Amino acid sequence: MSLDLLRFTAGLYAVAAAGYLLYFARPRYTLAARVGGWFLSGGVVVHLAAIGLACKEFGGLEWFTLRGGMVLTAVLLAGAYLLVQRFYHLPSVGAFVTPLTLIILLPTLFGEGGAPGVAPAALRHPAITGHIMTASLGVALFGLAFGVALMYLLQEREVKGKRFGALFSRLPPLGSLDKLTDRLVRIGFLFFTVASIAGAVIARSVWKSAWSWDPQQVSTLAIWALYGGMVQLRHLGWHGRRYALLTVFGFAILMTSIVTLRSVPGLTMHAGEYKGPNTESNK
Amino acid sequence: MSGRGLFLVGLSHKSAPIEVRERVALNGADLKAALQQLRASQGVEEAFVVSTCNRVEVFVQAEGEEAARRFFTSRAEQAGDHLYVKAGADAVRHLFRVAASLDSMVVGEQQILGQVKEAYGLASGVEAAGSYMSRLCNRAFATAKRVRTETGIGRGATSMSQVAVELVEKIFGDLKGRTILLLGAGKMGALSAKALQVLGADRVLVTNRSPERGQQLAAQVQGTFRPWADLHQLLVEADVVIVSTGAPSYVLTAAMVRTAKKQRRHRNLCLIDLAVPRNVDPACADLEDVFGYDVDDMQKVVSANHQARQGEAQSAEAIVEAEVLAFTRERETRAALPVLVTLRLRAEAIARAEAERTLQKAGAALDDRTRASIEAMASAIVNKLLHLPTVRLKAAAAVGESALAGAVAELFGLDQAQPPPGGRRAPLANGATTPGLPPPEKDDQ
Repeated sequence: MSLDLLRFTAGLYAVAAAGYLLYFARPRYTLAARVGGWFLSGGVVVHLAAIGLACKEFGGLEWFTLRGGMVLTAVLLAGAYLLVQRFYHLPSVGAFVTPLTLIILLPTLFGEGGAPGVAPAALRHPAITGHIMTASLGVALFGLAFGVALMYLLQEREVKGKRFGALFSRLPPLGSLDKLTDRLVRIGFLFFTVASIAGAVIARSVWKSAWSWDPQQVSTLAIWALYGGMVQLRHLGWHGRRYALLTVFGFAILMTSIVTLRSVPGLTMHAGEYKGPNTESNK
Repeated sequence: MSGRGLFLVGLSHKSAPIEVRERVALNGADLKAALQQLRASQGVEEAFVVSTCNRVEVFVQAEGEEAARRFFTSRAEQAGDHLYVKAGADAVRHLFRVAASLDSMVVGEQQILGQVKEAYGLASGVEAAGSYMSRLCNRAFATAKRVRTETGIGRGATSMSQVAVELVEKIFGDLKGRTILLLGAGKMGALSAKALQVLGADRVLVTNRSPERGQQLAAQVQGTFRPWADLHQLLVEADVVIVSTGAPSYVLTAAMVRTAKKQRRHRNLCLIDLAVPRNVDPACADLEDVFGYDVDDMQKVVSANHQARQGEAQSAEAIVEAEVLAFTRERETRAALPVLVTLRLRAEAIARAEAERTLQKAGAALDDRTRASIEAMASAIVNKLLHLPTVRLKAAAAVGESALAGAVAELFGLDQAQPPPGGRRAPLANGATTPGLPPPEKDDQ
């Protein structure tokens, strides 16, 4: 049931993406961007309903697998974009972010069942919902920053190369994109930090030690340091192209690490393959 | 034939040289006097005049275009050779195109709409323009607005300093808190700096080899003068550098910019070279975070934008066409409806009464089917009879020609009918016998 709803959500996102892309290709059709906005909002609502339903079905929001994480990240990414749009009004960003949302959501729609891999009882800790939500939100914001940074790089190529064509006129000014990337990275980093702290607290109570050289922990720390370093570099005056490259690079690493950790069996005890009581539904 | 219609007599940059245009162009009090004179002319009901440096056009709602033509020939004899005359829907279309800036020298420029608005304001101020011109002009303004919002006709800079400003905007977005450096005292540079200040750049620095001219320029653009010797420091502070010196060689070299970059970190720097020969080494633009443009780059943008505007003009023409049609249709119904409705009601009432009388006389001899077909026949006769007059009335009214409607009202004694403005004055017989007027334009006279 929740999987059907998710598929419906993906349909709504696809229409939204088409609307935003049409607006990007033909800026005269401002209606297309508005329609995109409506469908995206509708998609988020249905998406949340699907998540709610899945919670009832699978007994909790403490989703543990790649599939669960992606479902959460996609809705947060779409929601974060809708929020950003309220303040910045850059509908052309939608043409980059909405397809990204769809790409993140699509792999979760196939394969057997829709079990998001709820955390086993052994891991149930009061902080775990907060941990998963803040981590997903951090990833979503980094994803949004990634989309905006890509736009920056594209626009920079046009402006610097004196190609004053369609892209030049449709992409927002470099200054605005740069500022937006920075803010998204900062807020994302904040949530990521909270998620890491919560994770350490949970690890301490479950495994009796906050640090255990688990690949998940190592890569999380590395990514946290990477984004922390970016915030630092910003203070040291890094702007523009370099910063955009870093943002794109950071997100690529983040995605690679998430996908690898979750899809290679037995690599980390944080993945759905955690062997413990009540782990029949882990795919 | 009598009857009023809309006429346009005019000349523009397309039909007449500046020597002629300047002799007939008017403004202020002279224009007011000319408008009053036009209005007082025989057969002219309403008038308004658009007079700019590129065009002088007289619109009259009158029995003919003679008065409007005299407006020109009385001022300059040779103007007669350059005039164009349009009537009816063609005149409406022309006004809509002018207001939408489709007939301008620089297609899509924004000034013309304001000028037309001003012209209409002036004409209605001296009561030369009345209800017809008011509807016409308001429709023209609405059309212009539609064209501006629905097409990209006004998009893209069409002058060098505009292009410079557009580029800077694309690089920095918000100009608040940005620093502009004017290097050299060229006029173009000062113009661009002014435009950037309007966009919110709050700090303008000026430097020049000769301090006197530099200080002068700084006062003019409300900036701060800094000595030429500070150039290195200035390159560190500035976000936008506009270079226009008379130097025969590079004033900014790649080495200078590279040195400044070390202290700038990765802040973007925009170098705009307005000088010929160039003052900025093109190698500067290859450095990271440096965006460099010269006169040629900007000229390319200008001509590309001109071309783009031409392309957009096609969709604009379609909008104008639709609006012209809507306007004439509206006139049509507005003028002809009351008369038509009354005429039809009257005719239908007669037909019904006669049919009833016939049916009553026949009494029970007729069955229901025959009764129905007699009623149908009566209304068919009415429809057939009124079909052609309906078409003709609408066609005549479409171009503001109201004599026909007035004549019909008189002829059939449709007293309750509200004849359109001025309609009642039309001579009785003429309109009614007007031989089949083929639609708009070449009707009266």
